Amino acid sequence: MPPIRPSSVLTLCRRPSPVYSGPLKARPRHRPFTQNHDPAILHRSVQIYHSPSTDPYLNLSIEHHLLQRSSPDSYILFLYANRPCVVIGRNQNPWLEVNLRQLHHGIPPPSGSSPQPVDLVRRRSGGGTVFHDGGNLNWSVICPPAVFDRDRHAEMVTRALRGLGVGGARVNERHDIVVDDVVKSANAAVQTFKVSGSAYKLTRLRSLHHGTCLLSSPNLAHVSALLRSPAEPFIKARGVESVRSKIRNVGVGNGEFIAAAVREFRGMYDCPPDAEVSVDEEAALETPEIAKGVKELMSPEWIYDQTPQFTFSTHPTEDDPRPRPPLPDNIPSRFRSHLTIRHGEIQDAAVTGLHYVDDIDAASQDQALSQALVKQHLHRMPDWREALSSASTVPLADSNAAGDWLNSMFGNNTP
Amino acid sequence: MASIARCLRVARPSGLSALAKSPVSRVCIARAFSATATNAVRKYTKEHEWIDLSADLKTGVIGISEYAAKALGDVVFVELPEEGKRVQAGDAIGAVESVKSAADINAPISCKITQVNLVLEDKPGTINQVPEDDSHGGGWIAKVQVDEEGVKDLDKLMDVQAYEEFTAGEAEH
Repeated sequence: MPPIRPSSVLTLCRRPSPVYSGPLKARPRHRPFTQNHDPAILHRSVQIYHSPSTDPYLNLSIEHHLLQRSSPDSYILFLYANRPCVVIGRNQNPWLEVNLRQLHHGIPPPSGSSPQPVDLVRRRSGGGTVFHDGGNLNWSVICPPAVFDRDRHAEMVTRALRGLGVGGARVNERHDIVVDDVVKSANAAVQTFKVSGSAYKLTRLRSLHHGTCLLSSPNLAHVSALLRSPAEPFIKARGVESVRSKIRNVGVGNGEFIAAAVREFRGMYDCPPDAEVSVDEEAALETPEIAKGVKELMSPEWIYDQTPQFTFSTHPTEDDPRPRPPLPDNIPSRFRSHLTIRHGEIQDAAVTGLHYVDDIDAASQDQALSQALVKQHLHRMPDWREALSSASTVPLADSNAAGDWLNSMFGNNTP
Repeated sequence: MASIARCLRVARPSGLSALAKSPVSRVCIARAFSATATNAVRKYTKEHEWIDLSADLKTGVIGISEYAAKALGDVVFVELPEEGKRVQAGDAIGAVESVKSAADINAPISCKITQVNLVLEDKPGTINQVPEDDSHGGGWIAKVQVDEEGVKDLDKLMDVQAYEEFTAGEAEH
């Protein structure tokens, strides 16, 4: 990427969007993505943005746009809250990190009857899986690499929290913000709870540190189940595994937190009074680069196929010798499945032990069935029962139980 | 890689200055050279990538420097470049993840990726052990084909000595 000069920033912001420039659109063509502001804002030395959007794909794409297009020596604070979603790290595995069936079901609503939907998001930064909702405020600091330090802005947020009365807040060795609490029990043990996690993205010219901050999420009781995959005992994955932490809310309002974080940020960097602006959601979506980012983040290719290679095995293997939990009783006892999945696609399959109606040459039937599964994309398989029976060259006596179980493992065909 | 290499400065200022002159680093550079006797040139970017260019200036090997590898901390995943892709100097061609950070790897010069180091898929930690080793089993990232434009880009890069001075200077900040 060549160094970005202010002129290219200007051009970018003013370029009319090919999507919205049709004759039916009366919308002005030259709009920055913030309200009432000059697009030249991207090369001011200190910038503070608030996003009113709760769309995680949009917010992460605005953030990425700021990372890619802001002037290389600028300092930026970006604040946003998302609707309920599970956000996995860049090099993580959704089948391992997330209970996809639970995710598709959604989480119980605070009141009313229909469950709240939960989005699945893969972010561009590293690190582990987190849950977001409206009671979790995300803060993001983009700055020149020369001042990058993994704790610098976690400390900034910690000072903001302390200022709001969250006395025990501190940054731990994993660059998370935690609070210590004496648990009311016989031995009065001190327990530590994570309230904010960190992740980073580093490009040639810029560094980004973003974090979550659990302020008042009403959904914490559901998080653990969402982030526990039933397939975990069977999967061995390359890439990054999450570290489980006990979490809790700090009990601060979003507005209070935002004001305190902005105050701390202003205290660190020389910030003009008019540095703070609100993102215009509609205009942001019309900025071609942001729209492209949203499209990419929402694509199954990014969410699923970006997953580092992994294996799924019903039985201990040389590579993954862990003892496996027993499979459900209704599955044929000889059933075994070993899958290698690369870029979300089954690269290698060995499925054996299903009952065929005509069992004369089960070994070659197994081989044919396994071969037919190769090249299928895991997330695109609508139903494993269907996949197994159509992969088999002869009718299967009963593949429904195995198919149901595989569906529950991979989150296919959520009832 | 620029950002990463600087990230330890605040946390471990003394560690970094030691790093630039560490014996480990010297051993490694020496090994890389001895393993590739045909290499006429090794150059470094300010962002801590290196490139070895063959004597005929037609092919090269790309990796990240010992200095950067140390500053990164434990590498847990390497996103390898795409084989067959043509890239310009400075383009992000891959990424490494360590300590929650996804850091871009940038092309030191214009080139075409001809081969990637699949060893890193299974053993990303190789980057920490032998980042400047361009032989089999080493921590190199990609092999590339170079044209005239790429050779020209080389002029903007640093030789070993200049790079050592540069990193020593970074550490003293």
